[in-house]
Amino acid sequence: MNERQRNQLVTLMSRPYRYIRLEWSSDLCALRVRTCVKPIQCYSLAAMAELQRVFSDISESKGLVRHFVMTSDVPGVFNFGGDLSLFVLLIRARDEESLRMYGRRCVDLVWWMETASQIGVHTTVLVQGDTLGGGLESVISFHKVIFEQSAQAGFPEVLFNLFPGMGGWNFVIRKAGFAIANEMILSGALYTAEQLQRRHLVDMVVPDGSGEAAIEQLLNSVHPRLNGTLAALEGRRYASPITYESMLEIVDHWATTALKLTDRDLRLMERLARAQARKAGGQEEGAVDEIKRMELDQAWDEERTGITEWTALA
Amino acid sequence: MSLPFFAELVLRTDEARREFETHPVVLDAVAHGMTLERYSKLLMELFHLVWHFNPICAAAASRVSDEERSIRYFLYEHIHEESGHEEWVLNDLEAVGVLRETAPLTSPSVFVTALCGYNYWCADRRHPCSALGMMYSLEVIASVYGGPFASAISESLLLENRRGVSFISSHAEMDAQHMISLRLALNTVTKKEAKDAIVESALVNFHHFTKMFAAI
Repeated sequence: MNERQRNQLVTLMSRPYRYIRLEWSSDLCALRVRTCVKPIQCYSLAAMAELQRVFSDISESKGLVRHFVMTSDVPGVFNFGGDLSLFVLLIRARDEESLRMYGRRCVDLVWWMETASQIGVHTTVLVQGDTLGGGLESVISFHKVIFEQSAQAGFPEVLFNLFPGMGGWNFVIRKAGFAIANEMILSGALYTAEQLQRRHLVDMVVPDGSGEAAIEQLLNSVHPRLNGTLAALEGRRYASPITYESMLEIVDHWATTALKLTDRDLRLMERLARAQARKAGGQEEGAVDEIKRMELDQAWDEERTGITEWTALA
Repeated sequence: MSLPFFAELVLRTDEARREFETHPVVLDAVAHGMTLERYSKLLMELFHLVWHFNPICAAAASRVSDEERSIRYFLYEHIHEESGHEEWVLNDLEAVGVLRETAPLTSPSVFVTALCGYNYWCADRRHPCSALGMMYSLEVIASVYGGPFASAISESLLLENRRGVSFISSHAEMDAQHMISLRLALNTVTKKEAKDAIVESALVNFHHFTKMFAAI
């Protein structure tokens, strides 16, 4: 490491952060980010600003960071995704511009992941708890995705009449194909780690408590072949391109759609937010259980009315 | 391209909003509701806040410059819409077994006293547009958290329909409309000193409201 890189590392590591914690491992040039947006772990504006700062520092210090690793410091939760209360606020204020601004900030983070190979950075994420909506969108943009066995994930947005607009379609289609993207996004269902692995969205499923060892093992296996791996990942981007423009188009469409949500939809969103509050307050059941209840409610409604998603489409 | 002022206000005060939302007492109240005693105490505090809300807006309206007359007219309309809402709080108090006459006789907590004092001072000395910051924070609290909180209170106290929660639940719906007109009014503010005063006021109101709620 030369003098310039040493200074860049000092700058990178010494910034005061509130919602993330940084760790540096010099032997592998690995930067570890532990997220901690307590008590409700989601992509709040402030947390996203901190992550963006880290990404900018890495981009400005090309060659310094070779591995980027992300984990959550909140037990049982990787990330609940979007800040639901902020969504309710902006939708009630009919503020499409701010919704778009929020969405675009999310896209910028995901886009950094997508282009990390260009600046010589390999990205790995370890998911040890629930990850929903925008949380899952952020996860699948990493090069390597590790899930501990009990972690669950899904795109529940359709349950409150919305859809994942910050890269969900792009990355699921690339990794798992159209059929799986349709199934996951239009059902709002939750998936276990193994189900996600079968759908090629998760690369490794490890027993609970073995995630840390899996990161170490993965980094050690990738590091000697890093140049080739990154070049191959760049090649993958040419073979199956995701463009920033298409992501912006989707997120703009997401903001317009969000403004069409009804009071009933917002109440469902509030129901999820309340479940997050219960879990944050130490209760066993949280948003994941509430989503299961919402899925059941929807199934009962279909049973009662005879209307299903597919008959409605016919 | 610069952001409309409403978006800037959301950005600059988002952490204060989340401080309220994620305070353990608020989280617990939204998740599980409150005891009758604590809910009555909250309504008493709200009575004083609501009672002073319109006089603060009126003080601000009387000091708004002619240049910012659209804000003055907006305040007039808002005062008209909020008139008499302290009666809703008194009705809710009555529904949970507290004599309506007691609320005006009780002293508010130091947080509510300080908040009202700050808001009067702002209207008088800081900048009259700061009343919009007070309005923003109180309407965010009502429109975003009012609905779930009213549900939690109804469940925990076994209240039916809107009995006992009429003030909170109707403000949750009404303030959705208010949020739209507030956004449009805020987007007409152009002067830096007015914007800074509004942001400061929103931050102080979120902060003191959180403290008041936590002390219940």
